Amino acid sequence: MKTHLTDGELRAALDGELDASRLGHLGGCATCRARQTQILTQSQRVAQKLKFLAPTAQDPVPVASIPWNRFAQKLLIKKEISMFKRWFAFPIVRVGVIAVLLLTLVLAIPSTRAMAGQLLNLFRVQQVTVIPVDFTGLEQLTDNSPFGNQLSALISSSMDVTQEPGDPQSAADADQASQLAGFAVRAPGGMTPSQIYVTNAAAFTLTIDRNKAQALLDEAGRSDLVLPDAIDGAEISVDIPASVSVAYGTCPKPEADTSKSDHDQIPGRRYPDCVILAEIPSPSVDAPADVDVSQLAQIGLEFTGMSAEEAAEFTNSVDWTSTLVVPIPRNAATYEQVAVDGVTGTLIQRPADEAPQYALIWVKNGIIYTISGLGANSQQAIEMANSLP
Amino acid sequence: MNNEQNMPYKSMMDLMKNRKANAIEKNQVKSHSPEFEALFMEHWPRIYRLLRRLVGDPAEAEDLALETFIRLYQHHPSPDHGFNLGGWLHRVATNLGLRSIRSFKRRERYELVAGKGAFEGAAENRPAEVQAQEEERRQARQVLALMNERQARILVLRYSGLAYKDIARALGLSPTSIGPLLLRAEREFEKRFQALTQEET
Repeated sequence: MKTHLTDGELRAALDGELDASRLGHLGGCATCRARQTQILTQSQRVAQKLKFLAPTAQDPVPVASIPWNRFAQKLLIKKEISMFKRWFAFPIVRVGVIAVLLLTLVLAIPSTRAMAGQLLNLFRVQQVTVIPVDFTGLEQLTDNSPFGNQLSALISSSMDVTQEPGDPQSAADADQASQLAGFAVRAPGGMTPSQIYVTNAAAFTLTIDRNKAQALLDEAGRSDLVLPDAIDGAEISVDIPASVSVAYGTCPKPEADTSKSDHDQIPGRRYPDCVILAEIPSPSVDAPADVDVSQLAQIGLEFTGMSAEEAAEFTNSVDWTSTLVVPIPRNAATYEQVAVDGVTGTLIQRPADEAPQYALIWVKNGIIYTISGLGANSQQAIEMANSLP
Repeated sequence: MNNEQNMPYKSMMDLMKNRKANAIEKNQVKSHSPEFEALFMEHWPRIYRLLRRLVGDPAEAEDLALETFIRLYQHHPSPDHGFNLGGWLHRVATNLGLRSIRSFKRRERYELVAGKGAFEGAAENRPAEVQAQEEERRQARQVLALMNERQARILVLRYSGLAYKDIARALGLSPTSIGPLLLRAEREFEKRFQALTQEET
């Protein structure tokens, strides 16, 4: 029985891709040749429309060394952003709303103003400064590493959560949010929020076990960093007031448990018009007087890979009594000071060639404000801040 | 803000400016093996050209080509297990390019850039011809963006010049299946192209 070629075989034959054993049939079969002519006509029409896809040797190509350098930089940024997100999703974050800033808050207690033997409540945020941190050097802190697990266990055993924030509550408007949060929420006029959420107050106490913490540092290969004996047994209490998030555009729903978020997902691609205004009264910290804040700050900075000289320079340049120190990924973000809402704020931005994101942060009358967006238009954050009543 | 309050910011700016430069330089040396760099240099022109043609915008093509190599770097392919590097790069680049042209806003921008480039580079052509050609490319890209990914991918790989055996290796298919798949993809392309032109007129 004579077996005709399939349409697929006839198509392959047009490209000279048909097996020689099948090609023989084509020469002697008028039926197949007639069908092939129809297929050829159609393929030619498609080829005419898609011929622009065929590269030529004349197509200009950037000299490979230039993209190679960009490749190295992009790889670094990707790694750093991934580590930054993992760091912020670390188990301790699940315990307290902004517990990553715990270190900052703890470090912010000035021993010089402390009174021996008393618990103090000195810390009030009045200004913000940014510190670029090399998060690529903190891979050992990921929750999958042995070190990360041990650190997590140490913090969990040392931390007593006295007030859980629970899941964020939805509010109908700024007035209701003010009532729920207990402070006057400011929202720009003329803009309709897509969501308003109130996160309840949280509180916890951390009791420092100096020996265990030092053992961890030793295990991380940083036995050169020596924790002071005076911190052993110190109880540090942190009170974080209720906060309010006012979202504009299409935004992700707030996630109480940050571990559920996809670390490597870039939200800017899914929520390009999302802008979130967040407001929170300054947290307060009670700590023993003999905790040497500057010394601990320096150890923490050195642990991130900063040299002793650089850590000392930064530690000495910050007014720890009133400054909230915000860590940002060193290679993946830039920052600048800007005038907003009658005070000086800090605008943090991610490079435009990555999924752009920005965050504007400032402090006014004891309230910390942030406006973060998942697009490139950071100017709207400044305009929004300046339009607050 | 007074001078005293400015101090931390200024000192950190200077400090970090130097550190960043050093870190980038250091990273370029330590993150990549010479083998990977050689591989990048060898395949870069082909992958860039494929994407340049597919998306039309040189800057976007460069970004997507870089993303392709970043994925390769993260994929850690093992040549010992029959890994087909060229095919893998073509498949990933094509997927990224198709995903990119599916974004309507981006596509609009590409067409502006691509149209401008074609006009400047073909002075001997009459503008009407250039416009018609660019219009056809815009529509072709739009159709590719609308098609199912498998069919669009086979068209891109074939019309960017890959032989059947290379397409088969890139997509993990039998070489004899390429003819039938290509034919179906071409029929679908033509059907959608006609529908689009009718819709636009």
